[in-house]
Amino acid sequence: MTNKTHILLVDDEASLREPLAEYLIKQGYKVQQASDASVARSLLNAYDFDIILLDIMMPGEDGLSLCRFVTDKTEIPVIFISAKTEETERIIGLELGADDYITKPFSPRELVARIKVVLRRADKGVTSHNGSTGGAYQFSGWTLKCDKRSLIDADGVNISLSTGEYQMLLALVSRAGKVLNRDQLLDITQGREAHAFDRAVDNQISRLRRKIESDPKNPEIIKTVWGGGYVLAGEVKSL
Amino acid sequence: MKRLWPNSLVGQLLLVVALILLLAQGINSFLLYRGAQNQNLVEASTSAVARIVYGFERPASDRAAPRRTGKRSRRWGQLKYSPESAVGDDMRRLPELEARAGQAFANMGIGFSDIRATSIRDLTTDMTGYVIGANRGEWRNDPINRSMGGDQSTPETKGFVIISAQLANGQWVSIASAVRERTPLLVRTLLFQTFTIYLLMLIPLILLGRYISRPLKSLTARAQSFQPGTTETLEEQGPPDTRELIRAFNDMSGRVTRMIEEKDVMLGAIGHDLRTPLAALRVRVESVEDEAERERMVAGIEDMNSMLEDILSLARLGRSTEQSDPVDIRSLIETVVDEFTDLGHEVRYQRGDKQIAAVRETLVRRALRNLIGNATLYGKAADISVEKSGSSLLIHVDDDGPGIPEEKIAAMFEPFLRGDASRNRATGGSGLGLTLARAIARDHGGDIILKNRENGGLRATLILPVG
Repeated sequence: MTNKTHILLVDDEASLREPLAEYLIKQGYKVQQASDASVARSLLNAYDFDIILLDIMMPGEDGLSLCRFVTDKTEIPVIFISAKTEETERIIGLELGADDYITKPFSPRELVARIKVVLRRADKGVTSHNGSTGGAYQFSGWTLKCDKRSLIDADGVNISLSTGEYQMLLALVSRAGKVLNRDQLLDITQGREAHAFDRAVDNQISRLRRKIESDPKNPEIIKTVWGGGYVLAGEVKSL
Repeated sequence: MKRLWPNSLVGQLLLVVALILLLAQGINSFLLYRGAQNQNLVEASTSAVARIVYGFERPASDRAAPRRTGKRSRRWGQLKYSPESAVGDDMRRLPELEARAGQAFANMGIGFSDIRATSIRDLTTDMTGYVIGANRGEWRNDPINRSMGGDQSTPETKGFVIISAQLANGQWVSIASAVRERTPLLVRTLLFQTFTIYLLMLIPLILLGRYISRPLKSLTARAQSFQPGTTETLEEQGPPDTRELIRAFNDMSGRVTRMIEEKDVMLGAIGHDLRTPLAALRVRVESVEDEAERERMVAGIEDMNSMLEDILSLARLGRSTEQSDPVDIRSLIETVVDEFTDLGHEVRYQRGDKQIAAVRETLVRRALRNLIGNATLYGKAADISVEKSGSSLLIHVDDDGPGIPEEKIAAMFEPFLRGDASRNRATGGSGLGLTLARAIARDHGGDIILKNRENGGLRATLILPVG
């Protein structure tokens, strides 16, 4: 038994699967390859995996269906690899319980970084999707809709948020009243920038405040806790 | 005149019919008038002929020595005997009347060697007294007329016909006959008739016009709002020509929809089939030892990918599944500006008043990203400002770059054309940025305008309709 991270790589395209497996092995991972869902299922029965990299579009049973099976039966985190870039695809994938989503073509380094983030979060038992997906939260006159990833003000007007801002806000809103330090926020929100720093958290927070606070200098919604981190004040209604 | 010309089919139809009707009525009236005038002349000449015939049936005394006075003669007018014809050689002759008179004399067994007929407006002095017809009652009773004995022209008399016939002895017998206006055709009558006919035609015309134009209108509306993918067909109505047109339109929209569906399937396949080998290549590149070489290869792959992205988005535009939502444009600009500042670009935006526009957020973000990307590519810094103008929101992206020669501005929107003619890959971009941005703006009912700024640099304006 080694303590190497064990990866199951599922993709029907050998031209991508093989070099990727090679690269991951070089990076110090142990990799099993599956060319379709049925091979993947038999491998899942035979081995213990730490993480699954899953292509969505495959002949036969597709990645979405396999993902549903994996998230229902096991605790193994899943990262989707897809050739589709549409936002809807991405949301469907994440709603199915996948932990991350990366589109082809991707930087292998970024994939490795994301694998690390997902594994770190799995270790700490942080659930990626904050419990509720497809739901909505109401706080201080704002509505945060998870299915469309949109923030709507009291007049029904959408406020544009970057992916990072959305995830930061969702983390705070779904844990309202709980003080979250920068490390925790980074863990929860993962984000594309796997090597994000504390400074990045402060930056996101100040941008969020600019968008949702009536006076960003004296925040009423996202409050700073001295020496600790940030907390969402006020009542939150989960819809 | 142009202002009076109606725009609608029904309006034009009504106007044209009215004009044609008026013209036809005019021609008709003219012909009637001519006919009536001729009839008047014939009637007048008939009286004259009758008078001559009567004179020749009477005893020779009447002929030889016509009495100057006498109730009967006076009423009938007297025949004038003279060596010269009362119808001079220089007068316009009326052959039709001459033929008629000749026929009448022949029928009565009276032979003349020559017959002349003419019509005159005013009675010449030499014929005064040798007149029949006119307005007998008035003429006889009018004291002035009687005392003057001159002017035989009364209001109803429209000129005279003179018949002159040559006797065997060379003498001419002549008589004038007043032409009486029997059919006063007035412009008013003409207008009244036209108007009546027009009113009668109006209702069927309007109904007909609507019958024709209504299906055309709905066809126009359908063509304007045509969205590929709608399977709903337009009901065939109206006259057969229009039905055929609507059928052809329905067929065409079906073909367009099928074509676009095929295109979507193809695009999906291209997207998938190109991305996978690109991803494989991207992975393999990591094993290249030379770091500089690897960086260049990675940049090349990323370029290809972003170009693929742009092509696919451009092709997919108008078929977006994303729906429009009211968005606070300030937050949208901030989100895009932050992306650039995170990469170390100098992009300035001062949050102003709340501005709301209904947009597809990811698309508009992309358009704005392309504009700011250009600004940071060709200039050192970009300034974003928002201006409300009427029912439009103008988002200005100003750079401090070299600007674009005026004559090249229009060409900037052409696909795969970039500001630098060298097409140097180092400057990045797919060459589709502006094309895509403008397509997105237009898809929202807006546009993109490029303009050189007075103090140098370029201003790209993204126009979005609000409300």
